[in-house]
Amino acid sequence: MTPNEPPPAMTPAEVGDESPGPALSSGPLVWAATIVFTTLLLALLGRVLWLVVPSLLAIIVYYALFPLVRRLTLAGVQRPTAAAVVAGVVFVGASIAMVPVVSWIAAHAGAGQELLYRYLDAGRMLVERTMTMLDARFEFLARMNFHGQIAMRLAEFGDTYLQKHAGSLLLGAAVWLPSLLLAPFFAFFFLRDGKRFLKFVGGAVPNAYFERTLDMVERVHTTARAYIQGMLKLTAIDTAFLGLGLWALGVPGAPVLGLLAAVLAWVPFVGPIIAGIIVVLVTATDLPHDPDIVYAVIVLLACVRLLDDFVFMPLTVGRSLRMHPLPTVLLIFIGGAVAGIPGLILALPLAAVVMVVAGTIGGIVDNPRLRARHAFAKRLHTQRVTADLTP
Amino acid sequence: MLTLFNKRSKEGLRISMLRKLSLFATLSRSELRVVDSLLHERRYLKGEIVFDEGEEGQALYAIISGRVLVCRQGEPETGRIAELEAGVAFGELALLDNAPRSAQTRAAQDCVLASLSRSDFESLLDTHAVVASKIALQLARQFGRQLRERVGGGAP
Repeated sequence: MTPNEPPPAMTPAEVGDESPGPALSSGPLVWAATIVFTTLLLALLGRVLWLVVPSLLAIIVYYALFPLVRRLTLAGVQRPTAAAVVAGVVFVGASIAMVPVVSWIAAHAGAGQELLYRYLDAGRMLVERTMTMLDARFEFLARMNFHGQIAMRLAEFGDTYLQKHAGSLLLGAAVWLPSLLLAPFFAFFFLRDGKRFLKFVGGAVPNAYFERTLDMVERVHTTARAYIQGMLKLTAIDTAFLGLGLWALGVPGAPVLGLLAAVLAWVPFVGPIIAGIIVVLVTATDLPHDPDIVYAVIVLLACVRLLDDFVFMPLTVGRSLRMHPLPTVLLIFIGGAVAGIPGLILALPLAAVVMVVAGTIGGIVDNPRLRARHAFAKRLHTQRVTADLTP
Repeated sequence: MLTLFNKRSKEGLRISMLRKLSLFATLSRSELRVVDSLLHERRYLKGEIVFDEGEEGQALYAIISGRVLVCRQGEPETGRIAELEAGVAFGELALLDNAPRSAQTRAAQDCVLASLSRSDFESLLDTHAVVASKIALQLARQFGRQLRERVGGGAP
């Protein structure tokens, strides 16, 4: 073949096969690849948590502010200006809101440990009171010395574990704080230059796969947006229900506790338990002579949890991730094992994104026509650049 | 200062280049800037396939430079339907009605194409309805022209 001849025509198999072949988007290979890649990604991300956590927060902030930026662009404002205005307003608002929080922290910083032990003591008293009541009602518990064993475990926990780890926990939080400051910085640039970044990435994709990539990017964006905006709505609903419920029960600081519990619910399994412990400890400390309110708070938390799982979550987050419950639970446990709490939060949305990407790559691998078109384009290119190199 | 000037003149060149595309001919300078932020520029070598007949369409294309052949699947010589020149848009049908691509397109010469994705076109309808309606009007005019050419060779 001389360089000036047209490149070899595509083979009949390459030309004739227009069908995409069996769909792999939900096949076992794509599922297996999704679980394996998600696990590998989580393991990798677990090593750069200082970057992952602010990025995750930035993505949440991005999807929270995205509707505002969109509203401004709808009104005719250019995207960079809209991003700057929204980021500026939110920054100023957040700074003003932080003033009372910072002054409260400054006022109570010295008494932090004392405050912690006061809450823990109240919790211990609540457990002891409950155990005494249970012993009185159920004789077999008294015979097992259930009360004594629980009291001993709690004392051990308070005396050894907390004393040993409280300092390192506080130090860890202080180390994390600077990297968290990256979150608003990242969020601003996501809002301002998101499209430019996608164009940059799109430029690296071969022509044959370009439209598939556009489709994949759109589906990743839609999935992430549906999940995070759904979770934000769920947080607002949880805050309202818990805040109102705690306020009706007469718990001091009900809105703050409601918000805290709703935010902690982002962490699957562990989050609601930690939130429950905090709310119960605060209630037991602030209302020490009214154990019935504490039990009512526990019932309220359980009811809101059930409402979340069966009513609010299907309405807000819905089936945005379109995943079967079995791999879902498996992935959450894997996430927790390889990357701790960030892994628990990241496991599901990351798996959903990996599934979309794996589905697209599966579709390309399974489509000989697309691969042949890419090979054909490469041959054309090779022929062009070697046109003057023949002896 | 010089960098800013270079950036401005580069942007000016790009805007005047976009204005030459029939799809964007009626857009103002600021509207073209909005559209430009959504366009992907793709380069194709002569003979390279842009899309196949029957494929699910995710984007429309406008020819910035070069020529594009529209033909029946795998029949660039015998199944030739049309040859499009710079400034013309194609691939818009699949975008509007979600139908599979109705023909194959190949680069008849080395060409540069501007591509607007379905999702970006749809978001343009939401965020910049005036821009989207101007593009849609241009698309309708192009359809009308093509229809007249097919049925009677330029009847009113």
